[in-house]
Amino acid sequence: MTDQGLAIAWRGAWRLPLPSSRRGQILVAIRGAALLTLLVIVATTPGFFTAVSLFSLLNTTSFIGCVAVGMTFITLSGNIMSFALSATLSTSGMVFMAALPLGLPAALLAAFAYGAALTGFQGAVIGYFRANPIIVSMAALALITGGATLITQGHGIYPEGNAAAALKGRVLGVPMPLAAFIVTAVAAQIVLSFTRFGRQLYMVGSNWRAALAAGLEPARVVLGAYAAAGLCTALAGILMAARYSSGDLEIGLGFDYSAISAVLVGGTAISGGEGSAIRSLIGAFIIAVCQVLLLLHGFSTQIQYLAIGLIVLFVIMLQTLADTE
Amino acid sequence: MRALFANRSVRPFLLLVIITLVLGALDRGQGRLFTTGTAYSVLQQFATVGPIALGLGLSMIIREFDLSVGGMLSLSGCIAVLTGADYPVLGVALAVLCGLAWGLFQGGIMVWLRLGSIGVTLGGLLTLGGLAYVVTGNLSISYPRMDVAMAVNHPLLGVLSLRSLVALAAFLIAAFFMARTRVGRDVYATGSDRRAAMVAGVRTSVILPAIFACSGMLAALAGALLSYSLAAASGVALTDALVPATASAIIGGVSLTGGKGTPIGIIGGVLVLGLLNAGLNAIGTPPAVQDVVTGGVLFMVAVADAVDLDPRLLAMRRTWVELFYRRREPSPAE
Repeated sequence: MTDQGLAIAWRGAWRLPLPSSRRGQILVAIRGAALLTLLVIVATTPGFFTAVSLFSLLNTTSFIGCVAVGMTFITLSGNIMSFALSATLSTSGMVFMAALPLGLPAALLAAFAYGAALTGFQGAVIGYFRANPIIVSMAALALITGGATLITQGHGIYPEGNAAAALKGRVLGVPMPLAAFIVTAVAAQIVLSFTRFGRQLYMVGSNWRAALAAGLEPARVVLGAYAAAGLCTALAGILMAARYSSGDLEIGLGFDYSAISAVLVGGTAISGGEGSAIRSLIGAFIIAVCQVLLLLHGFSTQIQYLAIGLIVLFVIMLQTLADTE
Repeated sequence: MRALFANRSVRPFLLLVIITLVLGALDRGQGRLFTTGTAYSVLQQFATVGPIALGLGLSMIIREFDLSVGGMLSLSGCIAVLTGADYPVLGVALAVLCGLAWGLFQGGIMVWLRLGSIGVTLGGLLTLGGLAYVVTGNLSISYPRMDVAMAVNHPLLGVLSLRSLVALAAFLIAAFFMARTRVGRDVYATGSDRRAAMVAGVRTSVILPAIFACSGMLAALAGALLSYSLAAASGVALTDALVPATASAIIGGVSLTGGKGTPIGIIGGVLVLGLLNAGLNAIGTPPAVQDVVTGGVLFMVAVADAVDLDPRLLAMRRTWVELFYRRREPSPAE
């Protein structure tokens, strides 16, 4: 990218994104009001920051958040969501654990390569053949789950030794998963805002045919988006496997839905082409904060499930106010 | 062969024949496959997956996608088990009513706010799943009426049961409406080109909620009967039903690009998956193999139906020909 292009990108990235249309402004107002309400409730809830549950929740949120950042690439590319990221997460954790006797760097490399290749392959099929993303990801889910069960005979992988202990510590006093999540989100945002690939991703996501007419190869961009999603998911898998000291097919269960919830609550458009990685980070934290609040106010787990569902439904209904004419 | 495979209404039944032959060969004449037990088991799966696949397929025919069926399946099961202890029919009726109401709500939102179905039904899936946890108090609830549980699964004529008969009836009614009535034609018109259909006088804003209501009711019916037959219900079951139901509809010739597929084709799709599962089970393969085979079939159909498959294959063939041609070309040095 030229210096001038970079300067424009830089200014665009920091510009306050106030939409010009009336409906867009209403949307921003509602989002702001909701965020403010949430902050007020947090401030008036006694014991919010001292809650013991906060820390365990922060870890879970970080794992979900990494997948959500990965899912953001897929959603932005116009391919809605993937159902296979949870299985990819579990199996990349298993690959990591299986490769751990070869040393930590080799294990990391193996897990990342596995995640990127597996998800990238789906991206290639979706991009080059324009196969339906939902169907391809469902097929991948069944293939990965079945294949992994056949290979491991349904057992988890428990490596000997403690080579993964380095991934369980803290970085500058911040728990490793949280640090990794924030770094991933920021790195993803830099890729999205300041690289040619990121710009192309937005263009392909908002209008495939326009991107094709403009001389891009949309298929390659989609492949890249899926590979990036695979990398983020593999990171979550590695961290989870390190945390539980085992690779298991069950650890990622339900992460697809949690991740897409975070993406949508953050305000990324499900139709693609609009949104950001930082929004998904915010979305993941909003869901976590809501969960803590419900917990502190004495609501049971089942009410939390319902509340998240209703929040997602509400956020999607708000999308009607986005500029789509 | 390719033309035959490309014919959507023939494909599921062609696959059915192929799979039967392959499974028969794998069985090597040990007689494990062709028993009434296998047939009964296929039809029991048909009873569970069939209605969901039909609802999902109908939503795909109008070029939408109802992700919420999995949530409706678990919620309706919980409702039926909680309310149907004294009068089982009442439990089913309440569950189906709930499916109807939720389907109309979702479809209404889509029409009113002009939203895509995947987003709305994703929110619906999460909300319904949450509701199922709330009504059951996050517990697994058992259904006290064992007589009802036995009755819905009792084999009729060796292979059928009350559940599979109900599913079959739903399919036949849907097939009649889709093939023989104006409503059916309007549904196909809505799916192939919504704007053109609207211009031609099809009330697409009525068709859309109606289809989602059908989908909700069918998922609720399947969920209620399934929970009766298991004599239990709980909140967990989100994706378990979605993947086989989608796979069945897709294998059955429904296309996500809308306007294609028939209820009869979906029957074929459901039977293909059911036969694969029951057949592989009968010849003693582990359940994971069924996952792999289901995934493989789904993947193949996804690629076969891909929008850009033909131009890409053509381009690939050209590249190969070029490479071959260049190799034959005499180099300037000679």
